[in-house]
Amino acid sequence: MTTPLLEIKNLHASVEGTEILKGVNLTVLPGEVHSIMGPNGSGKSTLSSVIAGHEAYDVTEGSIMFNGIDLLELEADQRACAGVFLAFQYPIEIPGVSTKFFLKAAVNAIRKYRGQDELDAMDFLDLVEEKAKSVNLNIELLDRNVNQGFSGGEKKRAEVFQMALLDPLLGVLDETDSGLDIDALKIVAEGVNKLRSPERGFVVITHYQRLLDYIIPDFVHVLMDGQIVKSGDKSLALVLEEKGYAAFKPCGCSCGC
Amino acid sequence: MNSIVDNTIFADLHKKEDWLYTNVSGLSNISFCENGDVDPSIISKYDIAVNNPLVVFVNGIYEEEYSRLSDGLSINDPNFETISNRSDSEIPVGKSNSLSITGTQKDTVHILQIVSGDAPVACFGNVNICAQKDESISVAETHVAITDFDHLFMPKTEVVAKENSNVTLVRAIRGSKEAYHLGSLHVVQHESSKVQTNTITLGGKRVRNEVFAYLDGENCVSNFDGMYMLGKNQLVDNHLRVEHNKPNCDSREFYKGVLDENAKSVFTGRIYVKEDAQQTDAKQTNQNILLSNDADATSRPQLEIYADDVACTHGATTGEIDDEALLYLQTRGIPAEAARTLLIYAFLNESLDELADETFREVLVEELLSNLPGGEFIKALYL
Ligand SMILES: Nc1ncnc2c1ncn2[C@@H]1O[C@H](COP(=O)(O)OP(=O)(O)O)[C@@H](O)[C@H]1O
Ligand SMILES: [Mg+2]
Repeated sequence: MTTPLLEIKNLHASVEGTEILKGVNLTVLPGEVHSIMGPNGSGKSTLSSVIAGHEAYDVTEGSIMFNGIDLLELEADQRACAGVFLAFQYPIEIPGVSTKFFLKAAVNAIRKYRGQDELDAMDFLDLVEEKAKSVNLNIELLDRNVNQGFSGGEKKRAEVFQMALLDPLLGVLDETDSGLDIDALKIVAEGVNKLRSPERGFVVITHYQRLLDYIIPDFVHVLMDGQIVKSGDKSLALVLEEKGYAAFKPCGCSCGC
Repeated sequence: MNSIVDNTIFADLHKKEDWLYTNVSGLSNISFCENGDVDPSIISKYDIAVNNPLVVFVNGIYEEEYSRLSDGLSINDPNFETISNRSDSEIPVGKSNSLSITGTQKDTVHILQIVSGDAPVACFGNVNICAQKDESISVAETHVAITDFDHLFMPKTEVVAKENSNVTLVRAIRGSKEAYHLGSLHVVQHESSKVQTNTITLGGKRVRNEVFAYLDGENCVSNFDGMYMLGKNQLVDNHLRVEHNKPNCDSREFYKGVLDENAKSVFTGRIYVKEDAQQTDAKQTNQNILLSNDADATSRPQLEIYADDVACTHGATTGEIDDEALLYLQTRGIPAEAARTLLIYAFLNESLDELADETFREVLVEELLSNLPGGEFIKALYL
């Protein structure tokens, strides 16, 4: 049996005492693309933050195994080194930190962890050029401070570029499609598709079915109020598009319960 | 009363409004001497620009043997133009050898002022800079204390910038744990002159950095920048007064600091705009990052404006390291400690941006990073 890339069991997580994830189960095998859809506030970003290792969220119950190791035992940076990548819904701007320097530090920290030689400046720039091309990212952006002065679309493309650069086993994309026009969306989707491989898995969080026309998922899950209430294949996304989320409420009504 | 300095004045200084947060009454009980030698290896350690002019003072005494004077530099010149007739400072003025600097100085003149002694030492520093019309002068002062005893250093620097001249001055303060450092900087600017100063405090027990600036000509540009990084039992008090006496001048005060443990920072920025100093543009910023709950930062903007067509802004922020930025860096594989250091460095580095001399900039960055956990990681990136 293959070791799952990601195996989340009965995950409960809370922030400042409020429970947000209420028993999430999810298994991603190598090579698979899983999509998580859900209304605003259902806990999608919370789930991605918990996977990435955000300390503001307390895991009160359950487990996350990554490639056979207990992910919850690792710090955020160790998770990244082990092969987890999160493309943020809202990539933060960091004044004073040059994108290029920061990414060189990141690439080499990860290579060191994986027992690979650190890249020198030349090799690093070659790699950057190659990966930037794959998402049509203007390489001059990398001379700016991290995400500073990037347009909304540039931020999202830069996240996918970073993913390509850091070469993870698991890519979690948190609404990487939101705010993109159709051309930008195609570029981002293409960038992700190029990274698909038999070893790599993806969790693609989205609010809209639209993205899934371009990144075709193996499975679609509906997250509502901190729980996965329905799972299916890609046709589930079309049902959602048509009927809306209300149909998936545990009680079936359209009230706020 | 002490022979070197009348230290009775320090007992009640903090009762004055201008010294409210900076208690130096401990000085009044110390019996000071002025002796002290210095190991030549210390001088070579801090002689970071071996091809530049160097002027060494030990406890206020000029050390000819170690110095390299260039044209335009003179010691104890009685006829040099000074501005001491406008004294606003409570800090005592005392006898010491003085350095005068004039004439264009492209290679940064490095002034190394060392305080040293195996007993409490009190001493003064005296530097007079005068840039004549169209001249351009670059100066860096390094203040170092090498003593485990209480000591008091009172370095005073004057800058006269004549018409269309340009002066840049870096003052880096590396006092020891027992340093009382009471420094003052007096600046007079004439028409279309530009003055850029960076006051950098990386040590000391009580550090007071005063700046008194008089913009006496039109179209002056004055940037008074500062940076500090302090920890246990340290206090820095940056005290500035900028007087706009003529129209169309731009002044900026930009101070940033990081405070750990129970370190304290006081920033007082007074901007005075005379009646006819129209079109004044005065900006004041003080930003602090507190790394501990016991650290504390106080900002006091004081605006005194008598002209009606002016733009004066001030902004003060005090915060912690941004957790979201920290997480972002970590999720890219950068260890927490290095990520924190990177953010601190990024924050402080902005205040070194205008520092013209690359050598001095690099030494300061190197020193900054050496004092921070995880600094080696960042050094490998930037240096
Ligand atoms: N750091 C936080 N502090 C307080 N509440 C939070 C925090 N993060 C998320 N929440 C709350 O958790 C719920 C789920 O949010 P989120 O995971 O961002 O949802 P989604 O990404 O599905 O829109 C929301 O009610 C939100 O207000
Ligand atoms: Mg979200």
